[in-house]
This record gives sequence, structure tokens and C-alpha cells, in this order.
Amino acid sequence: MGSNASIMLQQEDLQNICQQTGFTTKQVQRLYSRFKTLDKRDCGFLTREDLLCIPEVNINPLGERLIDVIMNDYGENNKINFKQFIFLLAKFRHGKVKASTTEFNTRECKLRFLFDMYDRNHDMKIDRNELLEVLKMMVGGNIHEEQIATIADHTISELDKDGDKSITFEEFCKTLERIDADDKMSMKFLS
Amino acid sequence: MLRSKYSIVFIIIFGLIIHKYYCKEQTYEHLQSKPLRFHVAEFNFDHVSNVYAITLWILLGSLAKVGFHLSHRLTEKFPESCLLIILGLIVGALLYVTHLAEQKAYVLNSETFFLFLLPPIILEAGYFMPNRPFFDNLGTILLLAIVNTLFNTICIGLTLWGFQFTPIYGGTQFDMLPCLVFAALISAVDPVAVLATFTEIHVNDMLYIVVFGESLLNDAVSVVLYRMFESFAKIGQANIIVMDVVLGCLSFFVVALGGVLIGIIFGVIACFTTKFTEHTPVLEPLIILVYAYLAYLTSEMFSVSGILAITFCGMVMKQYVSFNISKKSDATTEYVLKMLSSIMETIIFMFMGLSTVSDNHSWNTGFVLMTILLCLVYRVIGIAIFTNIANCWRLLELTRIDMLIMSYGGLRGAIAFALALVLDETKIERKKEFVTATIAVVFFTVFIQGITIGPLVKLLNVRRKQIEEPTMSAKLTNRMMDHVMTCLEEISGSGGSNSLRDRIRNFDRIYFKRWLLRDTPEIRMDIKLLQTFKKINTQSAMRVHDASRGLVPAAAATTSTADEPGSGNNLKSDRRFENISELIAANLPENTVPDLMFFENRGGDHHHDDVQMHHFLDSNLFNARPRAAIHHRNQDETASSDDGTHNRFEKSYHHRDHRYLPSPLDREHLRGPKTISKIIHNANRLPAIDPHPATTTPRQHESRSQSISTTRENSPGSSKHRTKSLSKKSNQTPPSTSVHSENEGTGATAAERNHPWRHSSATDEAKTLNVGSKHGNDPHLHNLPITGEDISGTYQKSPESMGEYATTTKPEEQSSRPDVRVLFKKRSQNTLEHQDDDPDESVTRL
Repeated sequence: MGSNASIMLQQEDLQNICQQTGFTTKQVQRLYSRFKTLDKRDCGFLTREDLLCIPEVNINPLGERLIDVIMNDYGENNKINFKQFIFLLAKFRHGKVKASTTEFNTRECKLRFLFDMYDRNHDMKIDRNELLEVLKMMVGGNIHEEQIATIADHTISELDKDGDKSITFEEFCKTLERIDADDKMSMKFLS
Repeated sequence: MLRSKYSIVFIIIFGLIIHKYYCKEQTYEHLQSKPLRFHVAEFNFDHVSNVYAITLWILLGSLAKVGFHLSHRLTEKFPESCLLIILGLIVGALLYVTHLAEQKAYVLNSETFFLFLLPPIILEAGYFMPNRPFFDNLGTILLLAIVNTLFNTICIGLTLWGFQFTPIYGGTQFDMLPCLVFAALISAVDPVAVLATFTEIHVNDMLYIVVFGESLLNDAVSVVLYRMFESFAKIGQANIIVMDVVLGCLSFFVVALGGVLIGIIFGVIACFTTKFTEHTPVLEPLIILVYAYLAYLTSEMFSVSGILAITFCGMVMKQYVSFNISKKSDATTEYVLKMLSSIMETIIFMFMGLSTVSDNHSWNTGFVLMTILLCLVYRVIGIAIFTNIANCWRLLELTRIDMLIMSYGGLRGAIAFALALVLDETKIERKKEFVTATIAVVFFTVFIQGITIGPLVKLLNVRRKQIEEPTMSAKLTNRMMDHVMTCLEEISGSGGSNSLRDRIRNFDRIYFKRWLLRDTPEIRMDIKLLQTFKKINTQSAMRVHDASRGLVPAAAATTSTADEPGSGNNLKSDRRFENISELIAANLPENTVPDLMFFENRGGDHHHDDVQMHHFLDSNLFNARPRAAIHHRNQDETASSDDGTHNRFEKSYHHRDHRYLPSPLDREHLRGPKTISKIIHNANRLPAIDPHPATTTPRQHESRSQSISTTRENSPGSSKHRTKSLSKKSNQTPPSTSVHSENEGTGATAAERNHPWRHSSATDEAKTLNVGSKHGNDPHLHNLPITGEDISGTYQKSPESMGEYATTTKPEEQSSRPDVRVLFKKRSQNTLEHQDDDPDESVTRL
């Protein structure tokens, strides 16, 4: 592993990454080794299939959607390289303490990521179809279409303030005011 | 009075026996003194004295509680527990002065306490334990419960003992082991006191669960330490060998794990039992209570931690039982638990006050003050140390303010008091001092800390518990966050709590849910989400109900009362429809699911408002029902369980059918005669599809629609057969659906199409035919086809879903809330457009 020089973690790269993302060197190294483990073909990037190989991701109802988001929004050409990978994960550092907040892990960034999970056509609105899609994934099973549609309508009507039958990012943030999205969208990175 | 050492049942039986014996004796005496005469009435207090006294105490407690809450000013300032203790003190003082009863009779008896008063409280706590925060904070809770309690005990015990060498106690000698025994009982935070106080101050879930979880789980530690030191004290300090200490440590694991294990075992058995109670729903709450109590008693029998056992029993049961038992039983269980724990808590605090007034005291100012001080100091130190340790792995770190509240919330209570009372005075000479000190500490914590913690929480601006109504969007996003974080944790290989939870959930679904639930939920089906939706729906419905009280009935009154079920509906005027829907729409609260207003449009069948609303609400509950997962048995079963399958079946499906009534009929209104002819047209095509000819009795209607849904159906009258034999129609392979509930599961599809409610004989030919008809065409069935275009362009629906799910009750294109009538019109147009396609599709499927 690591034979490919282009993806070797250079020292200055490492410094750079740490500075930008707020990860410690150890965390970055750990994530790097994780990246290498996932990258079974050792080509310096992860593809959709690489990520789907993780069984938990595979069975997760939102696993594919998440990978969609990762690949399209954070990687390019359905690949994601280590740098993109680590910037993606930097979003999920816990940023409650002032010192540990970087431009990546602000509350807004996290919410934006969540919003992007719905908003796949990037029109900055969650419309009914997008919501339905997500609901179907999450609720799973064979539920009445009707039920899901009802739920979707209800959800939209809860959020939609301006009556355009879609949810803007602002409206989306509004509901999450009461939820500790900051804490929930954070994880502990081992070092 | 409350000294009964036997269970109440025992007392009653004994009372009967004694009564018999007494009667004989009395007869004998009477014979000697004067000739026996028949007494019209006899006064026989002895006969009932014990139970009577208990009942009176319960009554006094309840009345006191009721009384306190009449005055807002009182309950705002003082926690209930304080008021109850004061009441107890007053009553105790009266009894003490007047010598009405002997002291032994009203002093808290520790056996009564541990066998009767404590278990309901703990069970309630376990049953309503917020699982998510509990397991999220389990590490911290365990650390605090085990290590912190140990730390507190050792430190308090040794320091108390150390101070005997100073003149602070006024020369009274305290041995080391008794001091440690005392420390063991005094250092454990009391769940009852914590519950009583924290439920009133509404701190955030995390803080609450950390303190409360600690108070529950430290029981194992304090039980072990208490027993260990007590037996050491009996053995004598000199005779203790290392082996004893090692065994003591070992016994901790036995006590803790044993308790948990017994609890889980009984919980699982209880869940398994409720799997088979569908015919006797009345007993369901009882079964739950009895199993939990058995868990407690069993673990007490094996002298492992009963508190842990009943807590975990409650937690396990809550997970599965509520899916099995009927809605009514569920509500009853919850209510009974709340009631029992509330009254027990009341009695406990009252008896604490009562028991304080006794001769059993020996006031030692130095010792008492020292104990209070040490309890406070070591609580703060312990929390500071161990919270900081916990913060090393916690994602969400506990702040200083949290720590302060945690230390301040370390209340002592009745458990310590009861334990102090059972100390053996022959071995522990200073029992009286200990009892007094315990009472002092309890009073100090309950009064001073209990009263000031509320203002303190406000002052420090501690994050409060968010009391808000659940919103679908919040729930949805919450779930999404869980999923996303689980995935990301797996991707990044950090293996945090999210992925752990996910694994446990999968495990739970694969093994436990399969064996313990009547219906196995679908893989990947998010029951929680649906439940939330159902809850929201119910709430909205209830609000409609409340808001429209008096209005809907009026509307109903304007409608013709002459419409006969099944036949007269077509004749209803538009006027009526407008009335009711407008009324409901007008009364709809914000955020109501828009389709709610479509359900009740035709309540005119029922002349009683209540019935009307009942169906209205009931039909709305349906909406979020997953097809194979959540079991909502109809409550009518309770009454009808012995009416025979047939009858019972009809009743259970009674409501379901109501749901399908409204909008098709309204559609008919709008469509007018043209539609009707269309229906007839459709219906006429049916015999070709339907193997059986149409008949008129509702019973056969059932069989009709069933046989359509599945030709495999062979014994339509029996509800069991029917659902069992129905297998999933969707092309998804049914994963592990061992569905054999009555109405749920995929079988519901067929069941939903039954029409036992329409007892109309064949007055309307079209109707009758329709009842027996297929998906898609029957207006009764309301299976207005949802087309792919309706829902979203993204979903390509298979013919299956067209037929299968075509039970729409709402217009799909509606997302905001335009005028009701507009919607109806739109929808009916849709129906007309698609109506013709459906039967063929479903036929091919079949």
C-alpha cells in the first residue's frame, strides 16, 4: 500500500490539511489508513462501489443516497480522492467549542449537507418529489403510496411558510432550530 | 396500620379466616351471657381494620395531592415531596401526641417499603425510560453509578469514622464498619427523590437521564456495599480476611448482572406472552404488571438487585409489548403504571414525615452536620472527577453548569431511610444516630436542595427540556441524521455510538422482534417514523374533535337522517357535503394533515355525534399504518372476543371500512349520475373477474372481496385463515413475514376491502356488486388509483402498486391546502381518468 507516490500523504499536505480542517495529525493519519483500506484497488480514489462494500452502508436505507451526495458534491467523476474525502469528513467534527470550529464544521455547513441529502437537483429547494423519494427510502417496506404522500404533504405543510409547496434552506433550518443538529451531526474521530 | 407484612391478598384471606374464628367465639360468649338474637347490622372493625387502614392512608395521600394542586402558589414554590413530608410530620405529631395508634403502626416499615411501595415507582421509571438518551449516556451513567457511588461510600465512611477522633461528636464512639454501612446507605442517590424533583424542573433530557440513570443503577452498588459492610460488621472487624473482600467484589457482579438478567428474562417472557393475548386483551395490562413484579420478587429472592431487575424488565417490555397489545391495553398499562407510581411516591413521602416523629432518635449535632456536609462535599468532588473522566470519550461534553446541577441533584431519599431502619441494633450500636442522621440528610436534600434546584436551574440558564409537539419534519430529519452519521462513522471507520446503535437495532430486528412480536416488521421499515406520523395525525384529529365540538353535530343534524347505509348515499345533497367539510375545514388547526378534512364528510350515517367523531378519529389513525408492521388491533375486540370469529371479525373491521366510505361517496356527489352509471358499468364487468357471484349478506361480501384479493383464500369467515393465507402481492420478496395477526400484515390489503359494515341488503344493485368488486373500481373501497403522475414523476409504479395501493383517501396533488371542494373535483376527475385501467392490471397480477 502507498506505493503510488501521488497519493502518498506528503508532510506539507498533512500540515495543510490539519490546518484547514482542524484535524490533528494523528486523526488525519488514521483516516488516511482507513481510506487506504477502503481503496481496495489502490488507485488513490474511492468509487461508489468501494463505499457500498461496507456492509453497514450497504444496508442503510440512506446509504446510496449518501454516497450519491458524496460522489457528486464532494468528489468528481464518481470518484473521491483522499483530500476530498477528508474535507467531507471535516464537516462532521464536533464544533461546539469555539476553538475547534473551522469553516467546515459550522452548524450551517452541517445543515447544508443534510439539506443536500434531500435536494438532489440543487435548486435550493426541497420539492415534493424529492421529499417523497427520501421518505420512500427511509420508511421502506411496502407502505401505501398514499400514506407516504400524505406524510410528505404534511411535512411540507409544516415547513412551508411561503406557500410555494417546497422547502427552502431557510425554512429547513427553521425546523431544526430546536434540534441539536450540531451535536447530532458530529462524530468523534479517533486519533 | 400499614404494618402488614403480608401481601394484601394474604390479609384478606387471613381476615376471612379470623373473621370466622371470631364469629364462633362471639357466638359462644353471647350464648353464655344472653340468648342469641339475630343482629340486623354488626359493627366489626377488626374484620377490616388492616385493609381499611391501608385504604385510608392511600385516600389521605391522594386527597393531599389533590389538595396541594388546588393551590398553584403552593406547588410552584415547594415541590410536592416537601409538602407531603410536612403533611406526614403534622399527622405524625398528632398521632404522637394523642396516642391514637401505637408508634409501630405508622412508622415506615422497610419490608412494606421494599415489597410494595418501591417496585411500582421503579417499574414506571423503567417503562418510561427514554431509551435513546439512556443508552447514549450509558457510559457516563455507569461510571457515575458504580465508581462514583463507591468513591462516595468509601470517602464518607472513612471520613466520618476519622472524625470520631476529634471532639466533634461529643465523645460518642463510632466504629469503622458501622460508619461504612451508614455511608453505603447514605451515599446512594435516591431514584424516588430524583424523580419527584426532576420531573418538576424539566431540565434537558441528557442531564436528567444522567442523574436519574445514576440513581437507578447505583442500586446494585449500594445494595452490595450495604450488605457487605453489614455482614462484615457482624463478622467483626478483626475476623475479616481478604477472601471476604474479594467475595464482596465478586458479589457486585452477581448482584448487578443477575438483576439485569432476571429483568430481561422476565421482560422477554412477558413480551412472548403478549404475543398470544389477542383473544383476552383485558388481561394484557395485568400480565405486564405481574411479570414485572415477579421479576422484582424473584431477584429479591435471589438477593440480587431488584431495582435493576424491574427497571430492565420495564425497558424490555416497553420495546415490544406495545406492538403486541391492543391500543387500549397500552394506554391502560401506561395509566395504571403512572397511577401506581404516583400514589406510592405520595405514600412514601408521607410516611417519611410520619416516621420522623418517633422515639427512635438520638440527635448528635456533630454527627448530623458532618454527614450533611460530607455528603455535599463528596458529591461535588465525585461528580467533578468522574464527569471529567467521562468527558474524555463523550462527544457532547458535560459543562461545569451541568456538573453543578448533577451534584446538586444528588438527592437522598426513602431508600436510604428504609435501609437505615432495618439496621440490626444489636450489631450496630449507633443505629439511632444513623437513623436520625439519615432523616436529617434526606430532609436537607429534599427540602433545601429540592426547593432551590428549580430556581437554580433557571438562574444558571440550564438548557430545558423542550416540550414541544413532535413535528414530522423534525422527526424525519432526525432519522436522517442518524442514518447519515451511521454511514459516515462506518466510512470513516470511527465506529461511534451511531453505528453501534444501528447494529443493535439490526440485531434486535432480526432476532428479538421476530420472536417477540406478533408481526415481524419489514426489513428497512421505519416504524418510528410512521408512529410519529400517526401520533401527529391523532393529535390533529383530537384537536379537530375538540374544536368542532357542537359544530359537526349541527352539521350532521342538517343532513337528512333518512339515508340508509349503503343505499341512500347517492342521494345526499351537495349542500350537506359542503356543510360538513367546510365546518371541519374551518375548525382545522394549523398544520393539520390536509386530508383530514376528507374523512368525515359523510358522518351523516350516524345520528350520534360521538359515534361520528369516533369514526372520524379512528379512520384518521389509520393513515400511517405500515402494512405489515404495527399492530393496531381494533379495540372493539375487547368486547367481542367471545362472539365467535365471525362476529368478531365484523366488528374489528368496522372502522376500517369507515375510512373508505367518505370520499368515494363524495365523489359520487360531485360526479352525479354519470359516475353512477360508470360504477355500474364497472361493476358489471366484475363477475368475469370474480369467481363467485355477488350475494347480499355482508358476510359474503367479505368473502367476495377476499377471494378477489387472493384466490387462495379458502375460509373467509375465519379471520385467522384469511390473513395468514394472504401473502404479499408486491413483487418484493416478503422478508420474514410470519404474519398471522388478525388484520395487519399484507393481509390487511384484502381485509381493507371487506365491507361488513354495510348491512344494507341489495337495495342498490350497483352497490352490491361493487362491494364484491375489485380494487380500482369500487367507490366504496375508495381505491382511487394513484397514478405515477399524481405522486411524483420520479416513481414508476408497477401495476401491483396501482392495484394494491389504490386505496387513496387523499388527492395526491395536494400539498398546500386549497379549498376542499376544488380538491375533490380534481380528484374525482383523476378517478374518472384512471378508473378503467385498474381492474385489468389487478387481474393480471392475480
